[in-house]
Parts: sequence; structure tokens; C-alpha cells
Amino acid sequence: MPIKVLAFAGSPRRNGNSETLLDWVLASMSGDPEVVVEKVPLIEANINPCRGCNACEKLNRCVQRDGMDIYHDKIIEADCIILSSPIYCMGIASQPKALIDRAQVFRSRKYVLKLPIVSPERKGKRLGIFLATAGQNWSYVFDAAIPSVKCFFHVIDIKDSDISYLMINGVDEKGAIEFHPSARTDADMLGKSVIAELKKRLAL
Amino acid sequence: MEINVLGISGSPHRHGNTETLLDRFLEGNQASGATIEKVILKTLQYSPCRGCNACHKDGVCIVNDDAIILYEKILASDCLAIASPIYTMGITAELKGFIDRQQYLWARKFILKTLYFSDEHIKRHKGIFISTAGLGWENVFDGAFPVITALFNTTGFEYYDNVIANDMDRYGGIKNHPTALKEAYDKGLKVVGILEKLKAS
Repeated sequence: MPIKVLAFAGSPRRNGNSETLLDWVLASMSGDPEVVVEKVPLIEANINPCRGCNACEKLNRCVQRDGMDIYHDKIIEADCIILSSPIYCMGIASQPKALIDRAQVFRSRKYVLKLPIVSPERKGKRLGIFLATAGQNWSYVFDAAIPSVKCFFHVIDIKDSDISYLMINGVDEKGAIEFHPSARTDADMLGKSVIAELKKRLAL
Repeated sequence: MEINVLGISGSPHRHGNTETLLDRFLEGNQASGATIEKVILKTLQYSPCRGCNACHKDGVCIVNDDAIILYEKILASDCLAIASPIYTMGITAELKGFIDRQQYLWARKFILKTLYFSDEHIKRHKGIFISTAGLGWENVFDGAFPVITALFNTTGFEYYDNVIANDMDRYGGIKNHPTALKEAYDKGLKVVGILEKLKAS
């Protein structure tokens, strides 16, 4: 069985800084023949915001029929889930926020219906990565995004301690990340270390 | 001097806890003699920010939709009450999509330097964040505050106050909360008086 990596590119701007950071991580991962990578640009994924109707608490599925029908299943199947986003106005962009809020169906399944998200033998064998870039140089520019990201991973059965973060501030204009002193190396190392950890956990 | 209050509800859920709290705030405003307008974001047609940065050149958003009309309304208001429930430790995607569209104003302020709010202006424009959360955690609003701060900063409002109530799941809704609705009404009443005094001075 290959290691499945599902990566959401959350920026509405294609091939900008946060997506480049993601591409570097994915390139480092896909150098391994046992790894299968799928990248999903959220702007093309047709994922609507959550309506807050709470129907999933009873139905165990969302009442909306859209791109999430596909990604719901893929999120469960993946061994590694990566979310990348730029920081806009001190928070995660609205497109990844919509994806995160649509994970409400997993939260309902886990906490209201008390049903499993993944099979028992796969528990603790999934890893998450959050990648972010911000134009501002402030050290606290990512702080407001992180609680939402933690919730997202938590409800899809990825523990806090199994989330890796690579967040680069001070990159605004398209391509600025290319000139960052360590981002590319850090992305490369992160990709390799997460795959190595997954192999250990999956006993491959 | 008439005070204009603009209330914006960012909830996809009509007449839920957050909108009810906003309604009470606006009722307080009205009782104080203010003119109010309530806008329901989900009834508007707008797209999220595309991050194209075209506005950095001329301070104009290339997407001309209801978001621009609403920003014009915001800039013409004395008091802005921005309301959102907390979903997954943050504001809703609808409200975030709208707030991200303020980039053209940010560009006018910081890149083109064609928009400027004096300290006096900011003091006379009050921003209030109204929110409810299902969870009872004390930190449940922490992810929302910086984003709301960014909105108020860019549009020239002082971040005056919050009307926030957590633990809605346990209370079974805002109507069972011991203090929140009264707090919203009282704060709505009070802020108009403060703004009237500031305008008269």
C-alpha cells in the first residue's frame, strides 16, 4: 500500500508563496517511490462554507452536495493531510476556513454520534502539516490561524502532537518566498521527516 | 446629531444566537435615538478576496460586487457592530471572505497613502464585536479578535468593546444565557450616548 498524501493548497492566488512552500514539501515527499501525492487547489475544489444547520449531528453527513463529497472520503483515506494557507487580515484565508468549517461533519460523528473517524488500526498513524505564509513580519501573525487548524486536525483524528508546522512571515509579493533564507531547506527537510515518521508508524 | 449604526451579521444561520444578540444591541441603539441598519452577509452577492494584489496599484478592487457597497456603508457609519458565531475557533468563512476584501482600503492606507484616519476620527467611530460560541472554553474567541481588530483598524474604527457569550451548547441557546442579551442592549444604549457627546464636542 502506498503512503497517501492529500494536500490542500488554500490560497486563492495560484502559485503564490504558500503554494510554493507546499510544492517544496510535496516535491521532497514524492521523491519516495512509496508515496502518492494529491494536491488540491481549494479555489477549484467547489467547497462551500458550512451553513451551521447542525443536520450532520443527526444525519452523519452534510446536507450540501459539492466538492466536499469527494474530499470527505479522501480525508479519511489519507495517511498525511497537509493544509497550506496565506494569512489575510491576521487569519487564515476564507477558502481554507470554509474547508475547516465543513469538517464539522467529522466533529459530529466523533462527539455527537460517537462513531469512529478512521478504523482502530489506523489511529495514531496519520500525520498533519500546516504550512502558512504571511506578508507581515510580526511574529504573532500566525497566532489566530492555529486554533482553527488544530481543531481541523483534531476532528479528523490527527493529534496535536502529530501536526507539524512551517510558517514563513515577511513574504508578500508573488515569488518572495524564493528569496527566503531557509524556507526551501526547511520544507525539504519537513517533507522527508514526515514520510520517515509515517513509515515507522505504518511499519513499512 | 444623528448617530448611524451599521450591524453586520456574518452567520449563515438566520435568527440564531449571534443574530439575536446583534438584534438586542441594535434595539439598544434605537432606544438611544440612533438610526440603525442591519445587513445579513449571506443575502449579499460577493466573492472572497482573490489575493491578486491589483488594488496595491490603484486602491481599487477589480471585483465590483456587494462587498464594495458594504465597505462604503461601513465608512459612512459612526458605529459598526460586526457579528459572527465562532466556527472551529474562528469567525465564519463568509465573514472572513468579506473582511479579506478590505485589502483595497489597506492598500490605500499603507501603500498609496490616499486614505488616512486621524486619531480624532477613530475616537468618534466605535467598533463592537458581537459573537457567540457553542464551546465553553475561555479562549474560544481568541482566534477571532485579531481578525476583527484588523477590520476595525483598516476602516478607521476604534475597537471599542465586545459582546461575547460562550457555552451556548450548555445553555441551550442565547435566550437561556443569564446576562448576554441585557449586556447587548445596555451596551447598544450606552455607545450611542458616547458617540453623540463626541460628535457635539
